[in-house]
Amino acid sequence: MSGLAQTARPETGATQARRENPHLAIAGGAALASKSRPLHEPGGIVHILTCGSVDDGKSTLIGRLLWDASDLPEDQREMVRRAARAKGDPDRLDYSLLLDGLVAEREQGITIDVAWRYLDTGKRRLVLIDSPGHDQYTRNMASGASHADAAVMLIDARHGLKPQTRRHAAILQLMGVSRVVLAVNKMDLVDWSETRFREIERDFVAAAAGLGFVEALAIPVSARHGDNIAAPSKKMLWHAGPSLVDHLEGVPGRQSSSGGAFRMPVQTVLRDGQDFRGLAGTVASGTVHVGDEVADVTAGRSARVVRIATMDGDLGEAAKGKAVALVLDTDLDVARGAVLAAPDALPVMARSLEARLVWLAERPFEAGHGLMLRTATDLVPVAAIEITAHVDLDTLSLKPASKCSTNDIAAASITLGRAAAFDPFSEQAETGTFLLVDYLTGATLAAGIVVAAGTGADGAAAPQTCFWLTRDMLERGLCSDLGRCEADAREYRRRASEVVCLLAAAGVAAAFEDPKSTAVN
Amino acid sequence: MTVLPSHLDFLESESIHIFREAAAQFRKPVLLYSIGKDSTVLLHLARKAFWPQKPPFPLLHIDTGWKPREMIAFRDRTVRELGLELIVHTNAKGLADNINPIDHAPSLYTNVMKTLALKQALDANAFDGAIGGARRDEEASRAKERVFSFRAPGHRWDPRQQRPEMWRLLNGRLGTGETARIFPLSNWTERDVWRYILREQLDVVPLYFAAERPTIERSGQIIVLDDGRMPLPPGEEPRMRRVRFRTLGCWPLTAAIPSSAADIESVVAETLAARSSEREGRLIDHDQAGAMERKKQEGYF
Repeated sequence: MSGLAQTARPETGATQARRENPHLAIAGGAALASKSRPLHEPGGIVHILTCGSVDDGKSTLIGRLLWDASDLPEDQREMVRRAARAKGDPDRLDYSLLLDGLVAEREQGITIDVAWRYLDTGKRRLVLIDSPGHDQYTRNMASGASHADAAVMLIDARHGLKPQTRRHAAILQLMGVSRVVLAVNKMDLVDWSETRFREIERDFVAAAAGLGFVEALAIPVSARHGDNIAAPSKKMLWHAGPSLVDHLEGVPGRQSSSGGAFRMPVQTVLRDGQDFRGLAGTVASGTVHVGDEVADVTAGRSARVVRIATMDGDLGEAAKGKAVALVLDTDLDVARGAVLAAPDALPVMARSLEARLVWLAERPFEAGHGLMLRTATDLVPVAAIEITAHVDLDTLSLKPASKCSTNDIAAASITLGRAAAFDPFSEQAETGTFLLVDYLTGATLAAGIVVAAGTGADGAAAPQTCFWLTRDMLERGLCSDLGRCEADAREYRRRASEVVCLLAAAGVAAAFEDPKSTAVN
Repeated sequence: MTVLPSHLDFLESESIHIFREAAAQFRKPVLLYSIGKDSTVLLHLARKAFWPQKPPFPLLHIDTGWKPREMIAFRDRTVRELGLELIVHTNAKGLADNINPIDHAPSLYTNVMKTLALKQALDANAFDGAIGGARRDEEASRAKERVFSFRAPGHRWDPRQQRPEMWRLLNGRLGTGETARIFPLSNWTERDVWRYILREQLDVVPLYFAAERPTIERSGQIIVLDDGRMPLPPGEEPRMRRVRFRTLGCWPLTAAIPSSAADIESVVAETLAARSSEREGRLIDHDQAGAMERKKQEGYF
């Protein structure tokens, strides 16, 4: 019997949890009563970034959200109760214990520290994306914010807005998070004072005004006592607004924002061995319908959608977020890396980018380092990159700079080794972002946002600053064994990209002509 | 009127996207198939991601020799019906040394028959991307796991070498000797898995459904006897109990729960009402503090 562990934990019924937590009973009852949702599915999904420091009570707030508003398993509740009993104060539960993370995190520290938690409130799936606010918060926050529909910024009511709060808001703005909630915590420690709250609210509204948020709301809470977390506070009857959970249940998620021009980066081409040729990808923006004309900006050609194919049958339309395979009426010779788009609102085939970078790696930026730029489905060699300024998070102004290291947000000019499809981030978030990847180790060094995408002089030739590898040059030797088929074109691009990266490491900015280029040089 | 997609639609599309990225970015990916409910959903999503093609990677099952027989039968039937390629690997040295969950501590057994066996299979086939069904909600140490999780040479997991993941951009470019683990179900919860099985009407191993099974009790946990390999003290007779499994693994390391949920609808209802964590029934995870994280650093999935 030595093989069996000696733990024994009895199953505990739901009733005890419900008795202690009236909110659960309401949520559970609602789910059971809802016959129209036979799978008891929450209505949609929303991603919430939580930012703030541990001192502001963030772990307690998240723990409290899990405790009050979710179907947290009983064994986890019992773990918290047991800890309180062990400390001799069974009524004082430490909700932050629910956030127990990695052993290694405590001992050695994980880089880019973003924790994911999932809770069903009965109305909605909330995905809580938690990034620490203390150390190295810029890259952690930027990383978390890139996944978020909205953010909860937490502050201590006693201290009010700190310079850090403003910097947090600036990062949210840069990353395109347009809905923020300021949770003014520890209201119990300022005697539930409306005057104090209004003061902070005024400061917050003033600070947020310049940042262009769609929504900026302050809510007075006490995470420790549960006031205005899942249920309205009895101590702050002056607060007419929603509780935090009420508010988060109503925040629009990304599925409901399917406006914008159609974009679909092609991930792969699917075939059935006969006639089927499906361009597989996830709709990045807008909606596509059967019969729509879509264009491939790489080849500058368009075709009509004849099928939106899935294993569950064909669809009439597919909106943002849906993974599909499009069958077109004419073969556009499209491969991975192409972006299918609405013909009247095309992305730019860019050879140069003006961008904002969040430097993520421990190793600072070095000009002579081989880099590749990864978009949704394309991997493009970088010919040259120049840091021009840093973004000052206190003023959001640019300060001239030429270096860049961990946690910096920098402005950069990037020259690409070949043209690729981009949109400005402000217009199309998904086709306006990229990662900078170390050519040798594959490591992700920085994340980028496209501010402006430039085509170069005539759209086909290289920027004047680049050594131009023509098709003739490449086909004569390096690619002399390659023909014209899709696989060979892919191999041509791979080899040429390697050359560009090697030359970039030697300090030579180079760009190459595409094997399928139709331009006359 | 446009009907908003449900959160399962969102999760399904996200997983399909991850599958397609994995197939496009890795030279030789493989799907780790462990036969349970998560693997069932994983395989179904893989089929959707590449339909009308078959998934462009084989399935790999690490067979410890202690999976309930119904699991093996289900595995073989699934692979046959879908016409997929399956690689089954067992650690031959461990088998020869008779490393088993009855005579040896769960940590030793798991290390030899699962972790080492997995590394052997990945190395022997030169797989550079192993797709698995791990979820972030399973356990505290998984909450920070990446979708593309990187392993240094020797399959070592180093928290400091994990890459940031932003937007929907997945970077699978490998450094020398590196491999990756890929988790398309990262953002699913246990309840989502069951809801999806119900919605898609997926076939699962019958052990998930309640039936009369021969059992014994150890430390408050119900162990189902799959064959005669477990020695019982004189006088102890297996007792028939109506039980099912919430999570499947090697017997006798995975405990069953008393239940009368005999069909998929009742199992989903029971799971949605469950008040305890899924891994309560997995005895290997209780071995010691930070057990899962330690196992992960050694190369456990």
